[in-house]
Amino acid sequence: MAINEGLGSLRASDADREQAVEALKAAFVHDRLAKNEFEAHVARALTARTYAELATATTGIPAPLNSVKRAGTPSPIAAQRTCWGMSEAELAEALGVSRQTVILIENGQYLPSLPLAFTIARFFGQTVDDFFGYPDEGVS
Amino acid sequence: MMTFLPLRLRKPAMYSLAGLLFAGAWLAHGGRLWWVSVPALIGTVAIAARLYRLGGTDTDEGARAGSRADERQQLVSMRSRALACNLAAVTSFIGLTAAIALRAPWWWPFLVTLLITGYGYLFGLGSFGVAEEGTPDDADTESPTQFPVGS
Repeated sequence: MAINEGLGSLRASDADREQAVEALKAAFVHDRLAKNEFEAHVARALTARTYAELATATTGIPAPLNSVKRAGTPSPIAAQRTCWGMSEAELAEALGVSRQTVILIENGQYLPSLPLAFTIARFFGQTVDDFFGYPDEGVS
Repeated sequence: MMTFLPLRLRKPAMYSLAGLLFAGAWLAHGGRLWWVSVPALIGTVAIAARLYRLGGTDTDEGARAGSRADERQQLVSMRSRALACNLAAVTSFIGLTAAIALRAPWWWPFLVTLLITGYGYLFGLGSFGVAEEGTPDDADTESPTQFPVGS
């Protein structure tokens, strides 16, 4: 699997699809979507196989409704690590930190220092914003 | 200090040295209590062995015992030490206050501890945290600061 495909090529789960439908429902309730648009988006979300397809189905939905980090969704770092076929211990050794720290960073329970954040991003050939960026607020 | 030793041996060596000094103090004390140096020595060896063993495990405690803690583990360790220091300062203050109120002769160790923690804190601020007083960005320019013009 190519590295640059990132999260988009990963398979979405039923929980992810349900989450997307919930976001679409919220957008419909807030009059952000017309009824025919809502139906079309929901149909697309329910048939989405990957995160990229799911993202297409929820395009235009504001970030607060369409949360970037969904329950059950692997963090970007965990997804990249999986794409690279690395274990937590191997990534920890490559980054020069402990396995426990990698786990906590992936779970969002520890925010690394800037140097470590840059090390992680450069290791995967990405930017810091890809891994630790805040979602845009109120952007439709 | 002790940088010539392998990482995993540093903490056990440090504790061994401290334990040896403590046992030596009891030996120098002499009298009927000289034997306290023996259990002190045994305890030191046991602690050093446990630390060495712990240093080889894949845990946070193992990383600290093995002197290979990463930034998160160092941060946790630093916070714990800061908490311990705070507790020592508060306890010393309470002890000093109680000793003064009771007119007890054992007031001075509390004062010494309080002074050490206080000066240690000030020394830490001077060493790690105090930024240099700089001039404002536009203080040395005659023209006013220019901001980007919005369109």
